[in-house]
Amino acid sequence: MMQNAALKIVEEPQTMTNTEVGRIDVENAAVTFKGPKGKKIEALAPTDLVIDPGSFVSLIGPSGCGKSTLLNAVGGFVPLSGGVIKLDGEPVTGINPDVGVVFQQYALFPWFTALGNVMFALKRFPISKQERRDRAMAALKEVGLEGREANYPGQLSGGMRQRVALARTFVTSPKVLLMDEPFGALDAQTRVVMHEILLRVWEAHKATVIFVTHDVDEALILSDRAHIMSAGPGRIIETMEITDERPRRAHEVTESFLKNRNHIIGLLRQPGAEDH
Amino acid sequence: METHLKKYGQLAVSLSGVIAVWWIVSGFGLVNQNLFPTPPQVLAAAVELYRDGVLISDLQISLKRAAIGFTIGSTLGVLIGLLTARVFAFSVALEPFLTLLRPIPAIALVPIAIVWFGIGEGSKYFVISYTVFLAVWLNTHAGASSVAGTYIRAARSLGANRFREFFEVVVPAAAPHIVVGLRLGAALAFLSLVAAELSGASSGIGFRLQDARQFIQTDRMFVGLIELGILGALLDSVFVLISRRLVHWESA
Ligand SMILES: Nc1ncnc2c1ncn2[C@@H]1O[C@H](COP(=O)(O)OP(=O)(O)O)[C@@H](O)[C@H]1O
Ligand SMILES: [Mg+2]
Repeated sequence: MMQNAALKIVEEPQTMTNTEVGRIDVENAAVTFKGPKGKKIEALAPTDLVIDPGSFVSLIGPSGCGKSTLLNAVGGFVPLSGGVIKLDGEPVTGINPDVGVVFQQYALFPWFTALGNVMFALKRFPISKQERRDRAMAALKEVGLEGREANYPGQLSGGMRQRVALARTFVTSPKVLLMDEPFGALDAQTRVVMHEILLRVWEAHKATVIFVTHDVDEALILSDRAHIMSAGPGRIIETMEITDERPRRAHEVTESFLKNRNHIIGLLRQPGAEDH
Repeated sequence: METHLKKYGQLAVSLSGVIAVWWIVSGFGLVNQNLFPTPPQVLAAAVELYRDGVLISDLQISLKRAAIGFTIGSTLGVLIGLLTARVFAFSVALEPFLTLLRPIPAIALVPIAIVWFGIGEGSKYFVISYTVFLAVWLNTHAGASSVAGTYIRAARSLGANRFREFFEVVVPAAAPHIVVGLRLGAALAFLSLVAAELSGASSGIGFRLQDARQFIQTDRMFVGLIELGILGALLDSVFVLISRRLVHWESA
C-alpha cells in the first residue's frame, strides 16, 4: 500500500497535465484473439499512443483493422495480451464508469423511456430522485429531445435514439467518451445534425473523445487528430493533425480538407492496407 | 374499434358454421346420436348439470386447481430459470437434472403423485405445478441466458452494480421469453389439470368427463369438452392482452 502511494506521487506529475483529466496512454498495448482452429488473430499489434485530455481523436480504417478492438481495450471490455493502457496514469483493468460508451448498435434499454434511460446512468450517485430527474431532463434538452422524454426507444427514430444514448453517456460527465461507428446506420442528413450536436455537447463537457469510423469525411469534420489504421495485423499506420477551424462542412470543403482527404484515401488504398 | 368488430364478426360466423355442420351431421342420422349428440341435446345436458349444481362447482374447483398449480409452478419456474441462467453454481447443479425431467409427460406423474400426495388436492397441485414449472423454467432460462451482450456492457459502463444489472436489465430483457413461458404454462395447466382429474378425483371438469363415460353420456362429455375449449381460449386471450401491456416494447 505504502509503496503504491509513493509510486503514485512520483508518477502523477509526469502523466497528468495540470488539472486536466481524460489523458490516455496506450503503451505497447496488444490484443490477440483465438480464432477458429485455435489460430491466433493479432487484432492489435503492440501499439503506442498518447491521447491528450479533452481532445477529439478518430480511428479510421477498413473493417477488421482493429478499430473496435483498440476502443474496447481502452474501455476495459477486452483484456490486453501485452502492454498497458492508462487513464490519467491509472492502468485500465476493467469497465469503468468514468469512461462513457456510445455503442455501434443501439444499446438503449427498450423497456425504459428516453428519460428512464438517462436516469439509469445517474442511479449510482447519491442524489435525490428529483435531482436525478432534473439532470436527466436537462441532458435530453441539451441534445434537442425536449418533449420526447416519455417516449420509448421503439418510438424514436435512429438519430433520436443515438441522441438519447449521447445524453445518457454525457449526463454523468465522463472523462472519456468512446464511440464506435455511432452514426454508421444513419442517413447522410441525420449524420450532419448528429455531428453538430456531438461537437456542441463535447465542447460543453470537454471529455476526451475517441471516435471510430470508416468514413473519411466524418473523421475530418469531427476530430483534432485522426489515426489511420490498417489490418493484418491491426495497427496505426499514420497520425494526422487536423487543424482546420470548426465548424467544418463537407459541402464547403477547404483546400486543406481536400488535401487531407486525398492523403487518407491514398493511404487506405496502399497494398497491405486492404481488408483481409 | 373497427378491427375489434371485424374480429368478433369473424368469430361469430366461424362458430355458427361449426355448429351448423355439427347439427347437420348429428341431426340427419348420418351418425349414431348416442355417440354424437346434437347441439340441443348438449345444451339440455348443460342445463341439467347446472340444475344439479355441479356445472358451476366443477368449474370452480377446476379453475382453483389450475390457478393454484399455475401460481406455484410459474413462480418457481421464473425464479429458478433466472438463477440457472445467470448464476453459474445453479446452472451446474440444476440444469442436467431439469433437462432429464423435461421429457416426462404430466400424465406419467399422476400415479406417483397419488401415492405421494393422496387423491386429495395435493396430487392435483403437484401435477399441475410441475408441468407449468418446466415450461416456465425452460423459457425463462432461454431468455435470461441470451440477454444481448451490449445491454450488459452498457449497464456496467453506466455504473450499475450486479443487483441493478440483474433487476433492471436481465429481468426485463428476458421478460418477452418469460411471458411466452407463462402463456404456454397456462395452456399446459389445463392439460395437466384434466390428466390429474381423470383419475383419482371426485369433482372437477375432468372427473365429470370420466364419470359420464361410465354411463356413455356423450352429451355430458361434450359439455365438458366445450367448457375446456371456452376456458382455454378465454385464458389465452387474457394472456395475450396482459403480455402486450407487460412487454409493450416488443411489438414496437
Ligand atoms: N471477440 C473476438 N474474437 C475473435 N476475433 C475477433 C474478436 N473481435 C474482433 N476479432 C477480430 O479482430 C480483428 C479486428 O476486429 P475489429 O477490432 O472489430 O475491427 P474493426 O472494428 O476495425 O472493424 C478482426 O479480424 C476480427 O475478426
Ligand atoms: Mg468495428
